[in-house]
Amino acid sequence: MTATRIPTELIGPAFNPATFGQRGAVHEIFRRLRREYPLAIAEVPGFDPHWIVTKHADLREITRQDRIFHSSERSKTLASQLAEQLMREYTGGAPHIFKTLVHMDEPEHTAYRQVTQAQFMPQALEPLDARIRATARRHIDRMVALGGTCDFATEVAFLYPLEIILDLIGIPRADHAKMLRLTQWLFTYADPDLCRPGASITDPAEIIKTWNVVYQEFKDYYDEVIRDRRARPREDVASLIANGKVNGCPMDERAMISYYVIASTAGHDTTSATTATAMWVLAEDPRLLARLKADPGLIAGFVEESIRWATPVQQFVRSAAEDYTLRGQRIAKGDLLYLSYVSANRDEEVFEDPYEFRPERSPNRHIGFGYGGHVCLGQHLARREMRAFWEDLLPRLQSVEMAGEGRMAESEFVCGPKSVPIRFQMN
Amino acid sequence: MPEPGRRRWQCRTCSAIYDEAAGLPEYGIAPGTRFEDLPEDWVCPLCGTPKSDFELLAS
Repeated sequence: MTATRIPTELIGPAFNPATFGQRGAVHEIFRRLRREYPLAIAEVPGFDPHWIVTKHADLREITRQDRIFHSSERSKTLASQLAEQLMREYTGGAPHIFKTLVHMDEPEHTAYRQVTQAQFMPQALEPLDARIRATARRHIDRMVALGGTCDFATEVAFLYPLEIILDLIGIPRADHAKMLRLTQWLFTYADPDLCRPGASITDPAEIIKTWNVVYQEFKDYYDEVIRDRRARPREDVASLIANGKVNGCPMDERAMISYYVIASTAGHDTTSATTATAMWVLAEDPRLLARLKADPGLIAGFVEESIRWATPVQQFVRSAAEDYTLRGQRIAKGDLLYLSYVSANRDEEVFEDPYEFRPERSPNRHIGFGYGGHVCLGQHLARREMRAFWEDLLPRLQSVEMAGEGRMAESEFVCGPKSVPIRFQMN
Repeated sequence: MPEPGRRRWQCRTCSAIYDEAAGLPEYGIAPGTRFEDLPEDWVCPLCGTPKSDFELLAS
């Protein structure tokens, strides 16, 4: 690589999960990168060189070409050389413990996606509308019963999307807390409050151990579910996966367990992050609440803008399967590319006043759900459940304000608020 | 089968629906715009899939 190098003092903090606990610091790093190093190389000690992709147009160009920019060969998130080496030693050569849709390339990716795709289409979700709204109502009523103060993240936002997706999968309510805990161990392994108890959050060997513990816990749980759904299929996503065929054959075991993992984790954590973020924004801007109450037609735009604002999946890494020219730069076969969705969703060339929260942005070209073939399978469900929630709550909510410091998870991959203390009054 | 101007077309990649009756006013596409009349370089607003990879929904 002979392209521009990003000064290590600028890009180094982006390689540290703790930085992502400070939104201002994250945005300042990427604002500067977009301006001075829109597509350049990070050479951080202990890591292979990575192209840092900061521009909305470049992320879209890359993610529209899954056959050139691969997901299966290297780590999907930033990983040190030591972590990648340990991973391959641990798995016997594979770059990942999990084999989810996120980790697959074409044609395998589309073949696996088709096992459950129909269930997440808009026309399949429409009949579930009443049930989704009833669930939203129940969670909001529970929030109201908390008596005017709560931690909206832990007491509401973490729980509502969890119930929606796990009900769809077919997981009993009694097991939802376990699924939440495993999700937090998986995605926020570096956060001192959310990580697996006793795990070192900086030791790559410990992180891999955590992921394996999570995989084994999910496998132990879902092995039973698979046996049950093969013997007695039901109208649920668990049955679709258990009986799913890929190119006429059963899925391999790791892919099947991983399918349950991605549905049971990504299926709620991201929506929880976005919902908690939206409430944080509302709690800091009384005029926004007044506008949404006066014009409920703005709620759909509020949901879209909250996705852009939160961008819960902050990054993914791809590897180039062949040489490619992007923004006049030559990317070589084998090069790693760090795609910053956080940066793309603040790109000044796409979003007017990107650091202002505007529910009326139209169109809202955010790529918070990704882009291209790997675009989020659950995006239509996510939008539907968030609209249902705010359409129920906002007419009933008279006022809301922060009741303390909001706190973000320290996570460089999936990231959202871990605490949003609020004081609120209902009509 | 709905008449032209009231049909719905689905993206094969991300399942997003182009509803002819609604159009996409935020993208300058008026309500009632038939799928055939969308520009040939039009792509799915949610995932970038080309027009050729949309299918007509039966109802």
